[in-house]
Amino acid sequence: MAVFMSKGAVLAVGMGIGVAIASGATVANSQPAPKAAASPGAKAANMRHENFEKLGEAFKTVIDETKKGEPNKAVVARAAQTMNTLATALPTWFPRGSGVEARAKSEAKANIWTDAAGFSAAAAASQLQVSKLNQAAISGDMNAVRAQIRATGGSCKACHDKYRLEKKS
Amino acid sequence: MPQAPPEGVKVRLWDGPVRIVHWLLVALIGFSWWASEDHLDWHQWSGYGVVGLLLFRIYWGFAGSEAARFASFVRGPRATLAYLKTVSARTPSATAGHNPLGALSILALLGLLTVQVITGLFAVDVDAYQGGPLSHMVSFDQGRRLAELHDLSFHGLQALVVLHVAAIVFYLVWKRTNLIGPMITGFRWLPIDPGLARAPLWRLALGVALAGAAAWFISKGLRL
Repeated sequence: MAVFMSKGAVLAVGMGIGVAIASGATVANSQPAPKAAASPGAKAANMRHENFEKLGEAFKTVIDETKKGEPNKAVVARAAQTMNTLATALPTWFPRGSGVEARAKSEAKANIWTDAAGFSAAAAASQLQVSKLNQAAISGDMNAVRAQIRATGGSCKACHDKYRLEKKS
Repeated sequence: MPQAPPEGVKVRLWDGPVRIVHWLLVALIGFSWWASEDHLDWHQWSGYGVVGLLLFRIYWGFAGSEAARFASFVRGPRATLAYLKTVSARTPSATAGHNPLGALSILALLGLLTVQVITGLFAVDVDAYQGGPLSHMVSFDQGRRLAELHDLSFHGLQALVVLHVAAIVFYLVWKRTNLIGPMITGFRWLPIDPGLARAPLWRLALGVALAGAAAWFISKGLRL
């Protein structure tokens, strides 16, 4: 019985180590893998991903900063400027062939290209809201910025709801 | 589900706070799940409620009436194995409170729920527009990763809830022990009165005040 128990204990520890290694490997795999000779589509998809990360980070900066009692106006203006630059370029981030076929983790839906007119309109609507946010930030009126945040977020969501794949976890 | 009146005594098992916390958690976790799709602002409010309930339940696990206390139901591996050997027997369960296996289930549920609320407090939505009250402490990228963990841990929580309900059905059907009634009324028939200690009202008031204040403070992003 004692021998059996110790075997069981060894097995349990072994399984624990196995699980730890496996989960470590999963984490390692989830890091962006080095790209070997990425296709133009994959390059575009990767760059798009990075740009959306920057856009999200900048919007988050605006939101976090304006939630403070006394926001740093320069920080808000700089982040809004970044958003404006990115949002202006956004329509160019979606060359044909840069969808899931080029990057498996891409969340770009096929209707971005099949419904190009609708997508352009949604992107333009978002661009307009971001430019208003930028104008408010330039004016230094933090209440105007706060008031424009909801419309801006809504325009992100409107496009995401229609043209972004819900990632399965 | 009334059964034939069993032999024994009617025991006051689960105190009011335990039952209220239990059923409010059921309601708020279900609501949070529903609201996670398109009502993230309600999801946040519901989450603050869960934070308060969770903090109170942990406090009550040290300060509550006897059956609510961790020290009264968390057992070592020996007792758990011994109980495991008897669990398949088709005899009514007579444990006054959580049995050693149920204790593991409670710890797992409370533990994963803690992971759930912590990841939620720091999570950031894909639009960056909405985030937990502590999300200003992390970057957008970190907040997105925590949102994914929040999603993942909820799947774990769902699995634990299914297991929890399955165990209760097993006790009801196989062992003919109704564990649902006591969680509603607080009373349970047991062969002998275990003489469970009750908690004074001031401890309840203190816990509600502490957990409420802490949840409020957290919901404000730890800023006054």
